[in-house]
Amino acid sequence: MTVSQRQGPSRVERAPQGDLAQVIDLILDKGLVIDVFVKVSLVGIELITIDARIVIASVDTYLRFAEATNRLDLHQKGGKDLGQMVGGMTENAAEGKTKGAARGMLDAGKEKVDEMRGERSGSRERKR
Amino acid sequence: MSGEDSATYVYAVVGAGTDLPEGLEAVGGGTEVAVIDHGKLGAVVSDVARDRPLGKRADLIAHETVVNTLARELTVLPIRFGGVVSDDRAVVDELLSGNHDYFVWALEQLEGSHQFVLHGRYDQDELVRGVLESDPQLAELGDSLRGKDPDATYYERIRLGEGISEQVERIRQADAEHAVSALEPFAVALAVKEIADEDGAVHVAALVHRDHRSDFEQAVDALGDEWADRVTLQLLGPVAPYDFLPEAPDGEEG
Repeated sequence: MTVSQRQGPSRVERAPQGDLAQVIDLILDKGLVIDVFVKVSLVGIELITIDARIVIASVDTYLRFAEATNRLDLHQKGGKDLGQMVGGMTENAAEGKTKGAARGMLDAGKEKVDEMRGERSGSRERKR
Repeated sequence: MSGEDSATYVYAVVGAGTDLPEGLEAVGGGTEVAVIDHGKLGAVVSDVARDRPLGKRADLIAHETVVNTLARELTVLPIRFGGVVSDDRAVVDELLSGNHDYFVWALEQLEGSHQFVLHGRYDQDELVRGVLESDPQLAELGDSLRGKDPDATYYERIRLGEGISEQVERIRQADAEHAVSALEPFAVALAVKEIADEDGAVHVAALVHRDHRSDFEQAVDALGDEWADRVTLQLLGPVAPYDFLPEAPDGEEG
């Protein structure tokens, strides 16, 4: 199966390597962890980045959506009809995260990282 | 190498006999990145000072760069950042030997594939406009609040935003489904990831065979065209198959 040739330059930004937050998301969160690893201290300076991500469905989010509504003038400019999409949906396709870590293995840095992440760690139960 | 002051940092597990590309920079700097072979496996390693804390920006980037440089050409099992064993002997005795069959099996599962990560962001104005056009009640509420004192209408604005947010979540799910069906034919596997940002549209990890990379990227481009007015896409990769590491099979020590 192939995709028909498209015209013009790609609209999709290519990133061989992500920004720091994306790097952290990959290499601190995933990858094999092996129970023979020794403890080497892990500093937390850069890890703060990951906590800076905002949480969906907060009051702040609601207020920003309301603000966006306020600055739109629906009667002047015709927009795209997303309504069709909204209508035709079924269940949640999102399956949540897959877990990469092999079962039961311990990680030298994970405890520390979890500490620094605070409550985010609560949603990431370890596989047993 | 090994010694009182140094330990062995592990980046990834690869097949035996792997030639490393030139010029890889080690975590912590200064030492060489090398491969230690054992059986059918190789561990990509470098020396790291025991007393040096890891986790600075440069360390994270160095780790990621080594692993992803390898992942471009080879099948790799990425080790999570910060994996250190006491010395080179431990790499063989404890890491490779103890997990030999699991690693070999995992490499076979992933043979020829690497990962891409697709991130999409909504244009917030277009997003909200679409919601309001499809939901007259929300549009009416929005109209009634226009020009009013924000403080006096605080709770109404929250109600409006919450309603929009619910619709956004439905749109997001539909978009995830659509992305999955568009990319599925060209991927070995897909994983829809959590979105942690109110403007986040899609976050999908894809395990893609090298032979299908071009088709996969064309499918991503086609999606970018289709969504041009409302979603900006970014394609990260190829990176190591972080999201698709096979778990140790039942019965394996772990």
